[in-house]
Amino acid sequence: MTVSRIASAAAGVITVLLVQASLIGPLTFPVPVSLPALLVIVVGIYAGPGIGMGLGFTTGLLADLGSDHPAGVQALCWLAAGLVAGMLGGLATQRGYGTRGVAGLAALLGAASSGVLGLLLAILGSHAATALLALRYLIPVGLADALLGLLVVPLVRTLLRAQGIRSPRPVGRLIDTAPSGRVHADAFG
Amino acid sequence: MRRLTRRQQLSAVVLAVIALLFISLDFAGGSLGGARGGTTGALGSLYRGTDAVLGPARRFVQGVPNVGGNRREIARLKQRNAELQRLLAASAADAATTRQLQALQLQADTADWRLMPARVIATGPGAGFQWSVTVDVGGRENVLVGQTVTDGLGLVGRVVDVHSTTSVVLLAADPASGVGVRDVRSGALLLATGAGSGPLSASALADRADVRVGDRLVTGPAGKTTYAAGVAVGVVTSVTTAADGTVSVRLRPAAAQFGLDLVGIILQTPRGTARPPLEPAAGSNR
Repeated sequence: MTVSRIASAAAGVITVLLVQASLIGPLTFPVPVSLPALLVIVVGIYAGPGIGMGLGFTTGLLADLGSDHPAGVQALCWLAAGLVAGMLGGLATQRGYGTRGVAGLAALLGAASSGVLGLLLAILGSHAATALLALRYLIPVGLADALLGLLVVPLVRTLLRAQGIRSPRPVGRLIDTAPSGRVHADAFG
Repeated sequence: MRRLTRRQQLSAVVLAVIALLFISLDFAGGSLGGARGGTTGALGSLYRGTDAVLGPARRFVQGVPNVGGNRREIARLKQRNAELQRLLAASAADAATTRQLQALQLQADTADWRLMPARVIATGPGAGFQWSVTVDVGGRENVLVGQTVTDGLGLVGRVVDVHSTTSVVLLAADPASGVGVRDVRSGALLLATGAGSGPLSASALADRADVRVGDRLVTGPAGKTTYAAGVAVGVVTSVTTAADGTVSVRLRPAAAQFGLDLVGIILQTPRGTARPPLEPAAGSNR
């Protein structure tokens, strides 16, 4: 991972946390729509489970430390969300999902992530979190995530393809020449 | 579906363990306080900066669902405001009326007059005169032509026309009005005349009359005046003596000549009792 990718990820995380706190959170209150979770999921879908879970853990931990509920809860949930999104993302890209398809998948994962987070907070005894609320907000969160996804998905896809941010392309290297004359090559990322 | 490499599986397990460790540490209490404080402070500063940019947009979006309700609320508040303004004006008018009634009552008490309170309901030319007002009492209230009108402080004018429920009052400020007045200090008699919107003026009936600036003038006998005696007319502000000895003065009116609201019509002045003649003192010599 290059420095520019780390810087881009940090800028993205800070930006979505600020937009979440200043715009999305107040506008969707009391429905717990989470733009950072959606970003983690969409990035996971396109960039794979490794980047998805790393971004999810980092973003979640930062959000945890900036909030008043137990630290590590969102980190754990968004870690899982990024991981699952990365695994399912392969299926989505193989089948050629467009923006709406990816947004729908992200919405499903976002709603599930929100539900799990609510249940976990209710179990841990965090104030104002109950299992009933976590279940009640599943559908509204899913719908809101789907709408937000229509904006976030093209944006993330474009950014991940941008020069300096996209993952390095595999480079072929000649390692041996078989007696038959066939060339053996290995790929290094 | 992508499969996890061994390295990714290991990373996932490690990160999950770290997250659980954070949860445990936080539950154990206090050990993450510094990290929380730092993060909250840093994010708080950023939130303030972000809110300056995104706040107006957020407030606009938040206000959209309430546009109709806000309009209704604004209309309701405007109506309420108008109602309160009306009550405030009515309250102020009531206070002014109370003050005027108190002044009239005081004058009725001190001079032993019967006063009929009357509200000015119209102003302007009437009954062939220029400076007159119409009041809301008339013959039904025993108002008669010629009765004196006061505002509790001084002379307003006299009744010149009476109808059943209204009367017309000629103001002392009317140029055609003449009021016989007496200087309270020297007893000199003068004839005060109105000058429209200008100050009242008066001419002494006797040459070289003793009138000074600051003297108070009250209604008194002069010619066929019908004014009740003793009503304050004004205070002398300037005295001019002509070469032929004629004294003329300018007055500051005791009563408001304009903006009249509540006035009192003097229905009856005390008749007094039959006074005994003065007899020579006992033992006096002629």
